[in-house]
Amino acid sequence: MIDENDVEKLASLARLELDPSMKPVITGQLNSILEYVQCLNQVDTSSVVAMSHTHEATNVLREDEVCPVGSSPDPLPLGDSSIPKQGMLSSADLLTNAPDHSGTFVRVPLIVE
Amino acid sequence: MTDIASLSASAIREGLDSKQFSCVEVTKASLQKASSLAKLNCFIQMSEEAALQSAERVDGLIKAGKRAPLLGVPVGIKDVICTKGIRTTAGSKILASFIPPYDATVVRKLVTAGTVSIGKLNMDEFAMGSSNENSAFGPVGNPWNPEYVPGGSSGGSAAAVAAGICPITLGTDTGGSIRQPAAFCGIVGLKPTYGRVSRYGVIAYASSLDQVGAFARNVRDCALATQAICGVDPNDATSVSQPVPNFEESLGRSIKGLRVGIPKEYFIDGLAPEVKEATAKALKVLEGLGAIPVEITLPHTDLAVAVYYILAPAEASSNLARYDGIRYGHRAKGDLDLKSLYCRSRSEGFGREVQRRILVGTYVLSSGFYDAFYVKAQKVRSLIVKDFHDAFRDTCDVIVSPTTPTPPFKIGEKVSDPLTMYLNDLFTIPVNLAGLPGISVPCGFSEKGLPIGLQLIGKPWDEATLFQVASAYEGATSWHTKMPTLTASPQ
Repeated sequence: MIDENDVEKLASLARLELDPSMKPVITGQLNSILEYVQCLNQVDTSSVVAMSHTHEATNVLREDEVCPVGSSPDPLPLGDSSIPKQGMLSSADLLTNAPDHSGTFVRVPLIVE
Repeated sequence: MTDIASLSASAIREGLDSKQFSCVEVTKASLQKASSLAKLNCFIQMSEEAALQSAERVDGLIKAGKRAPLLGVPVGIKDVICTKGIRTTAGSKILASFIPPYDATVVRKLVTAGTVSIGKLNMDEFAMGSSNENSAFGPVGNPWNPEYVPGGSSGGSAAAVAAGICPITLGTDTGGSIRQPAAFCGIVGLKPTYGRVSRYGVIAYASSLDQVGAFARNVRDCALATQAICGVDPNDATSVSQPVPNFEESLGRSIKGLRVGIPKEYFIDGLAPEVKEATAKALKVLEGLGAIPVEITLPHTDLAVAVYYILAPAEASSNLARYDGIRYGHRAKGDLDLKSLYCRSRSEGFGREVQRRILVGTYVLSSGFYDAFYVKAQKVRSLIVKDFHDAFRDTCDVIVSPTTPTPPFKIGEKVSDPLTMYLNDLFTIPVNLAGLPGISVPCGFSEKGLPIGLQLIGKPWDEATLFQVASAYEGATSWHTKMPTLTASPQ
């Protein structure tokens, strides 16, 4: 069983700020989920290998080449269907989604006093 | 006049080739239908201008004599798939103003196949949900009865196809998010084998389970759309270089002598009688077509939901750590220090279910509990995979089950109890855990007139057999020809 203090600690680890009125509700819900998943303990897995992926994934290697800056050309109907190699996006492209920036930098709160 | 938007992809192709209508006309019909059915809330964003532009291009190609299986067919894209220059939200407030600077590989593939995307489809936030009620952009109505959920997380994708807005849409499936809404909306939806389709540009939920797939109102359209998006992608190291067969060749092929596995663990007490009955009738149809039913056992089935609700939140809590309000996405206002900025931005941006899963994921990955929960779940996952492996090796060629334990439920009915909601994915989750292909096809209606789906599960890389069985079943039944009666809202 976890209590509201545990939930508070988890939230802090996950960088979430929970609404105080929601804490008891969330604590209850997390407990019912955690209680439910206890059913896994009925299975003996002492000789079972843990699986993180369904395929035998192997490292995919490629030449380390410099990609030109600039996004790939837009696809056209019945146009070239080969998948373009992931190009480098320009900083201007990337900054269009930044909540706050200055020049070519993302602006953040003061980190080092 | 014929409602062009509600035609199948194949019928639209014929109409375009025989000059009954142009691609611009088809596209306009789709856009118009979407706006007249706006009350269903299928779309988060329409892309009218881009759609009409590419429709004009397609008309030029058709005039020049070009032909291709999907040339000029309108499609919709689940809003978890990045579209360059077109807002992509994943159903979340945290990405409410995110405009991707690049296209997902599946989007490029659909464009080069000649389809015309009319917009981005509503979904449960970050694909977490089974009812589409977790969208920051509001719930989606089931076209068969808007008081009921369309299923989730790809609820908008399923509802748009069922409502006859466009013949094909893309969705994603992590624990059933294509097959369950396909079942609830009375249409066809296929989740390919894990690794079959590129995830490049698809906003991640649980990376070892997520897979993109297609919805359609008939098996042929679904096969054509799946064909268009399959294949290895150098930009996604988890996509696999595996030959992609021509799925059209599977359509109409006899299923005589095919061994159909019926897992006894899927016929549980909680199974709604109408679902049980529809499934039994469907099995009779398959038998009548010459398939051989075989009872099989998948002994670890009842543990799949528990495994999923450890592994998926664990992967999600890690994947969603990137939303910190710094480089993109929502940033909280005010003079805040760094940690408060992270916490405030994430709490303002993420909805309840997403926060709940992040907390569960954080818990099961934390140092004292990692082995007891996370590693334990990974081990039981191995056992679930082995169940399928054994069944396919020894006894059957394809597995048949209900897609969901119950017919669609009402909007609001299950929101307060996450666990009951999770159990709705009982029959679809094991397929994701094992990375197998699965398809849902319509197989009947509940007493209240809501659709019921039949799930077919295949061997790894064997989507072809799923299309073969689905098309044989479709050929012997008429469920796929039924369409909901919808009234357009006044303009």
